[in-house]
Amino acid sequence: MSFNDYGRMPLRSNVDMQLQTAFSDGNWNAVIRLADKRAKSLKDPYYEAIKICAESQLDGAVGKSSVLTAIDELVRKKTVPDIDTLELYEWAAWDFIGGEIEYADTLGPLRVRWAKANPKSPMAIQCLRSCLEYWDLVSAQQISTALDRAYVNSGDRRHMFWSITLTFLLSISPQCSESSRKVYSLLVLKQLERAAEVTENATKVDVNDRGLQTEEEVCLYYRVLLANGSKADFIKRVQCPKLGALALLEKGHKLLFWESLKALETWGEWDLIYDLCRRALRMGVDGVTTPFFVCDWLVWKRFATAASKSATPESALEEVQAILRQYFAMDIKTAAMYKKNLSLALLETTFQLPGRSQALDDGHKGMTPRVIQLGLFLQQYFDKLSAFEDVKAYVADLSFEEAKTLMEEILPKLLDGKSDKPQQFILKSFASKLRYLLTTCPQTLSRHPSVVDGKDQSEPYQCRLCSQLTSFPCRHCLKDIVMEAACTYQQISKDKDLISSIPRLDKDPRLDLAMVIGTSILKLARLRTKDHSLTRPPMRGVDAGLLLQATLILDTQLKETPKDNGLRLLLVQLHLLLGSASIAYQLWIPMDVKRTIQDALSPLFFDRISTLSPGLFHGSRPLMEPLRTHYRNTLRDACPLKIWEAFLSGSYTSILGMNEYDSTLRRSCTMMMSMVEESRATRVFGGKGDGEIADQQLLWKITDDTTLVHQTDYGSFPNLESHHGPPFQDFVRLGPGLSNERSHLSFLAEQFADLLGYKPPKEYKPAKTHEAALRDRTYTLERLSQLANSLTTFLHAPNTPTLLTGPETTYFSVASLLASALVTCLSTSRGDPSPKPLASATQSIRAALAALRSEFTHAVATQASPCLAMADMHTLSYLRDTALAVRHAAAFVLALHDKELARDRSGKSALHRDVVAEMKALEAVAGKAVAEARAHVQRTKETLGEAGWLDRLLELTFAGGGGEDMEKAVLGVVGGDMAEAEDWAGRLLESWREGVKGWVAVKWE
Amino acid sequence: MANFRRFRPDDLNKLSKCNLDPLTETYELGFYLQYHAKWPSLFQVAEDQNGNIIGYIMGKLESSPEVYKFSEHYLPWHAHITAVTVAPEARRLGIGRLLSEQLEVAADANDAWFVDLFVRSTNHKAITFYKNMGYSIFRVVKDYYGDHSTDPTQSSEDAYDMRKPMKRDVKKEHVRDDGENHAVDPSDVW
Ligand SMILES: CC(C)(COP(=O)(O)OP(=O)(O)OC[C@H]1O[C@@H](n2cnc3c(N)ncnc32)[C@H](O)[C@@H]1OP(=O)(O)O)[C@@H](O)C(=O)NCCC(=O)NCCS
Repeated sequence: MSFNDYGRMPLRSNVDMQLQTAFSDGNWNAVIRLADKRAKSLKDPYYEAIKICAESQLDGAVGKSSVLTAIDELVRKKTVPDIDTLELYEWAAWDFIGGEIEYADTLGPLRVRWAKANPKSPMAIQCLRSCLEYWDLVSAQQISTALDRAYVNSGDRRHMFWSITLTFLLSISPQCSESSRKVYSLLVLKQLERAAEVTENATKVDVNDRGLQTEEEVCLYYRVLLANGSKADFIKRVQCPKLGALALLEKGHKLLFWESLKALETWGEWDLIYDLCRRALRMGVDGVTTPFFVCDWLVWKRFATAASKSATPESALEEVQAILRQYFAMDIKTAAMYKKNLSLALLETTFQLPGRSQALDDGHKGMTPRVIQLGLFLQQYFDKLSAFEDVKAYVADLSFEEAKTLMEEILPKLLDGKSDKPQQFILKSFASKLRYLLTTCPQTLSRHPSVVDGKDQSEPYQCRLCSQLTSFPCRHCLKDIVMEAACTYQQISKDKDLISSIPRLDKDPRLDLAMVIGTSILKLARLRTKDHSLTRPPMRGVDAGLLLQATLILDTQLKETPKDNGLRLLLVQLHLLLGSASIAYQLWIPMDVKRTIQDALSPLFFDRISTLSPGLFHGSRPLMEPLRTHYRNTLRDACPLKIWEAFLSGSYTSILGMNEYDSTLRRSCTMMMSMVEESRATRVFGGKGDGEIADQQLLWKITDDTTLVHQTDYGSFPNLESHHGPPFQDFVRLGPGLSNERSHLSFLAEQFADLLGYKPPKEYKPAKTHEAALRDRTYTLERLSQLANSLTTFLHAPNTPTLLTGPETTYFSVASLLASALVTCLSTSRGDPSPKPLASATQSIRAALAALRSEFTHAVATQASPCLAMADMHTLSYLRDTALAVRHAAAFVLALHDKELARDRSGKSALHRDVVAEMKALEAVAGKAVAEARAHVQRTKETLGEAGWLDRLLELTFAGGGGEDMEKAVLGVVGGDMAEAEDWAGRLLESWREGVKGWVAVKWE
Repeated sequence: MANFRRFRPDDLNKLSKCNLDPLTETYELGFYLQYHAKWPSLFQVAEDQNGNIIGYIMGKLESSPEVYKFSEHYLPWHAHITAVTVAPEARRLGIGRLLSEQLEVAADANDAWFVDLFVRSTNHKAITFYKNMGYSIFRVVKDYYGDHSTDPTQSSEDAYDMRKPMKRDVKKEHVRDDGENHAVDPSDVW
């Protein structure tokens, strides 16, 4: 924006000093007086405009609206406005744009009018920039077209590409009318096609021609072709001699090649992928490009996959291997990274080649070329940090016999002849990771009759590794893995030489071992993915002792390897599950998740936090402030951040990417999460916060039709699972991750709570009370039916049941039922017939509330120990919320009834008798549930305050279902005696006590 | 298991492997996007097979602002490494070197005199890394950083301004052997 250094708009330079000074000092009364004087004496309407702007800066509605009236007049006049006046008005109207006025209906078209009349003035570019800043694409596109026309023969090519880029942006934007969309899509494609022809046909490059010259221009063309053109055209063009992907590669530009492969893959054009990869990789060998320029892993992977899909896979894959061999044979020093890419490519081709899972020797079914190649890879890389990730998918695809051979024959031989002790232990820890991985692979189990003698078998499989009957995953193997890893761990801990060599290694092998032990125990604790436990509270059925053991081991390991963020992230989840949220927070803080990365990472700690530990919101730091600041700062302007810089630099593909990123960020589930959590926490403590959730500016544009996007980054989260099942975070998270459906439901439920809690401001004293009451009632009814509809729609979306925890489902269902019930209540007056649907709605509400209550009571009663009371606070939290929603809804209706009675003594406008009765009954039921929940908190507080807790907690920890030998093993890992465990239990207990303190402060009214 | 390619804005959702490491600074969104907007080909990433970013470099090409033309600290047309980082699990595989070399290629292609960067004087690992690639200290910027990475009792830390001459600098006019003895104030760098 063209503000001066004071953040104020500079006036035209010929304005006298006195007025300039008054203006820049913000001395608005003086400006009004002076401008008025100048307007009269100089007869220049510009001074009139200054006056209007100054008036708009004063408090008071009249002055404020004068600038809007002035703009409106300019729009209506249809003449070309004065640019200085326009700039002034835009500055003065800043606060109103997007609220009282839309830029695209007012200042945008005025800018267009001016720029079209003066396309060659530098101010025309300023007009374009302003339209972009307000993301008025319709106006910006028109201006850019005018500029392009004006500069067509000037050699300034950027106007052509600005116009093209903006036409494209408009064509894919919701700002574009459906009727124009097609026209613009076609127009932009034609323009670019013409440019492509110019370049393909030119004999020499003329810097001023209207062809495609820079990488950005060419890639813009292909992006548009992908969006608006045909597949056939894309395929034809991408092989062209000048603008084709390989031609650009030759010039050192990789982007197009990269993007083309992706597009071709989605179309399944494998033959072309094969050809492009082959020729590109050959260019490296032949010295056309720098040797390893295209040696990316994904290129090799696609090359091998394409070969396997060709008509003659055997020979095609031979060709891949031949090129690989040429690379291996190149006698140049290259990065270890590329060497590894080559080795992995060789592995990939072996896995793609037909028949490579056939044994070489009939007598040894597991010794296949695939296994041998894996062995060769591991020989080189098993001690590297990324070895497990590198081979994981391949190992998970081995047949059972192959896997057995790998584990029992190949791995033990890797160190043949070497006596290097650290290496031996690294290999052992690596092997235990693989062994765990195999428990997650279905090929290690064979089906066993699931019904025997007419009875369902709880162990419907036979494990092929240990031969025992089991469910999935094999509990016997998991236990063996724990025992073995624990033994190795202790061997390391006891060996001083070994310990002192650890800093020189890529990774502390104990970390891997602890992770395997912890993960296995968590599986034994029956942590399950949450998507099939539809209505159960999160902790139901979990072996608390084992959960505690795993946490103890991992917590202890973190002391040894505090820098390992994967371990830290896992522990954050475990402590959230255990209800020790303050520990989770202490673990979270050192990772310093701030600024840009918050959107992707914050859900790992903050999601559902208000239901777990409201007390955290009263800590010394404002919990959500950093997130809030991030969104406020980055989404303040209507346009994508830094977009103008990208235009000025001719970075056209960056513009498209930035636009997409911006649009996604504005629909971020994390952003919604931050608002919802804050709003819930405020309500929990009976506060009002920043007003209603729907008033948050960042949420203004979120409607039911907005698809909210979640981009949670689990990249650093430990995951030893195979691709045959869900990733590990799905097992340890409190419930399903963020989703569009849950985000909308939470947002709607908060709006419902706001509506029920609404109190008109004290100064609101309408003159005509009767009309006002009617108006209010109509408005409330409208809002209620909207909310009821929206809540029902999202609740009934096909995936919703798998996206919520049980308590969430109840809460949102009750909110939806209440909203509908209230519509019935408010629209049934005393004289109407008894409202039938009400009874069934209230019955459902009662049933839902009762079910949640019994779930909770059951959870409390069956808890392994009352010391785990904090672990089910999520359920308690929703019990409270559900009960209070019922109570507030009933109170809302009854208050309205009383008000109507007081206002209209005839009783005509009062509510139906049955309504009143139903609501009173609901209020009573809800009151009971609230009291119960409250009593539970009180009880928990008292229980946790009792003496002897440490022992009880330790007893519980070591009474898990793993058996005595496993407990011993666990104890061995954490130092052999109880000291470490006691210290740990003490901290856990302290955290629970802190958590319950937060709960005691919660309001129950 | 790595790919080298240009940065895309959605990579910002995949930074955890690099940015949870305390040696890597996380910036405001506008900072990343500014580089992507102005020098898209100088902002390169390395990604692993799961799409996680395991290394990146942010670079730019520029000269000092014209107003400093006659200052002794004026920097002619050069490339600058604003940030380079590799995830702990992917270090010592040559990724950092490859990323820096890509920038050097761009610097030569754009006829830059040298590539430069600032590094904390206590970041020995990174200093060795740069030295092994041909960079040398050109000057020391006193108290350039407003905190100290290893000693919490100190309120500031020096930066080394390190440089590597590019092809254009045939006579090696823009590097010096005794850079460590040339101290400047933060106000002398722009
Ligand atoms: C500095 C950093 C970018 C190096 O990345 P990298 O990918 O590990 O480096 P490379 O593998 O390309 O190393 C290239 C050469 O630098 C040297 N080097 C790199 N890391 C080194 C270390 N820790 N110790 C000694 N020399 C090292 C070596 O000579 C190495 O070659 P070699 O492995 O063949 O011996 C990485 O350690 C990092 O991200 N550090 C944290 C962030 C940071 O400090 N950035 C620099 C801020 S200015």
